[in-house]
Amino acid sequence: MDKLLDLWHASGVYNVSPGQVFMILVGLLLLFLAIRKNFEPLLLVPIGFGGIMANIPEAGLAMSAVENAIHLGGPEMLQNLAAVLHISSTEPEAIKHAYHMADAATHTAAVYSANDHGYNNGMLYNFYTVAIASGAAPLLIFMGVGAMTDFGPLLANPKTLFLGAAAQFGIFATVLGAVGLTTLGVMDFTIQDAAAIGIIGGADGPTAIYVASLLAPDLLGAIAVAAYSYMALVPMIQPPIMRALTTEAERKISMVQLRHVPKTEKIMFPIVLLILVALLLPDAAPLLGMFCFGNLMRECGVVDRLSDTAQNALINIVTIFLGLSVGSKLSADKFLDVQTLGILLLGVVAFGIGTACGVLMAKVMNKMAGGNSINPLIGSAGVSAVPMAARVSNKLGLEANSQNFLLMHAMGPNVAGVIGSAVAAGVMIKFVG
Amino acid sequence: MDNLMSEGLNLMVFGMGFVFVFLTLLVFATGIMSKLIAKVAPEAAPAPAKSTPAAAVAAPASGGDELVAVMTAAVHQFRKH
Repeated sequence: MDKLLDLWHASGVYNVSPGQVFMILVGLLLLFLAIRKNFEPLLLVPIGFGGIMANIPEAGLAMSAVENAIHLGGPEMLQNLAAVLHISSTEPEAIKHAYHMADAATHTAAVYSANDHGYNNGMLYNFYTVAIASGAAPLLIFMGVGAMTDFGPLLANPKTLFLGAAAQFGIFATVLGAVGLTTLGVMDFTIQDAAAIGIIGGADGPTAIYVASLLAPDLLGAIAVAAYSYMALVPMIQPPIMRALTTEAERKISMVQLRHVPKTEKIMFPIVLLILVALLLPDAAPLLGMFCFGNLMRECGVVDRLSDTAQNALINIVTIFLGLSVGSKLSADKFLDVQTLGILLLGVVAFGIGTACGVLMAKVMNKMAGGNSINPLIGSAGVSAVPMAARVSNKLGLEANSQNFLLMHAMGPNVAGVIGSAVAAGVMIKFVG
Repeated sequence: MDNLMSEGLNLMVFGMGFVFVFLTLLVFATGIMSKLIAKVAPEAAPAPAKSTPAAAVAAPASGGDELVAVMTAAVHQFRKH
């Protein structure tokens, strides 16, 4: 009978908390959205599954060795840890607090003590440490994105870089929104949190994860989920804004065909960009450095094998670990918070403002260029989200004029948006990091 | 609280300003690069692409009969074998 009771006490049903049940349901919802609705499935499948695994009671997959020891170890282990951490209380909460406050040496001692008693980091915790806390996974993804990006349309019409810059206004407006909510007492965000939330408006998953891991690791789960969900929703969020801000005549403007861009220019561009980053904003160097490296591998033509790996095999491997690691941050105590609602709300506002600013900037440029050469629809593509945002521009252009193919014209602002959001990320890290 | 708000405003003004400055410089740098490349190392590919059809068009105009003769001879030579 005792054995039976032990088994019952070790079961998930006995140990599960309401928060964990809710988070497992959230994970299932993400899986549903990814599988049935095709929302960014490459990321939401691993994130949703990771979220479910992170919330399995007693498994401790997303917890560090010491957290596992505190949770599972029993009185003897708690006493042991309390002694290592030099505190008298053996309450789990007190030990957790002391562990997070401890200096480096004591911290390490507590980890060793837990390891000695057979408690180790959960699998997802290890993935998170290696893939995201180190910064490696978002940067490797950025390298892959660089290897997939063709800067041809941008080089043919460099002025579209302004559209990529204008669309970043969404990021900074959202930062202001987040600190505004805090000032009004509705939410409680620090300036670092606000910066990490704003970057959702950059519509660039790896950039958002990279910035969040540096500025607000606690909010990473919510920020990554918001960023990828809204990227999947681009075809729904953008068109109403684009229609509202443009006239029928403007949507009909067809653009002249882009000039041919010689290979040498394509090879030199990542190098010029890298030099500019090195001179002006070293904080953006990790992101843009990897991006330029990936692109150089693509364009130089002598390392096709490396370029092929970067944009296929490697990016797929990294995506698996990145998704599971993000999922590990979907634990009930971090995610079930009013802050998460605030993040989801601010994220969609960021998207909307970014889109609007891109379109308005394109209208201004069109007016300045004589009024009949730049279709304002390509402005919305300035919020990265490659290549979805460019496809949306193309679709709306075709609706207005069935002979109007804007895709290649929209790819310019689209990749400019990637550069723009990476620069914005560098500025954020520089100012509030 | 006000402090936080002003920090946010600062971040917005400087951040947005910097993004624009950076991308403006990039526009200029790209423009200069494109011009330099066009001057120093004009791409070889489009040049022959233009000259080949030009030669083909020019040939029949100047020596059309000769070309026909050569081709007829070549066809005869080919049929003999």
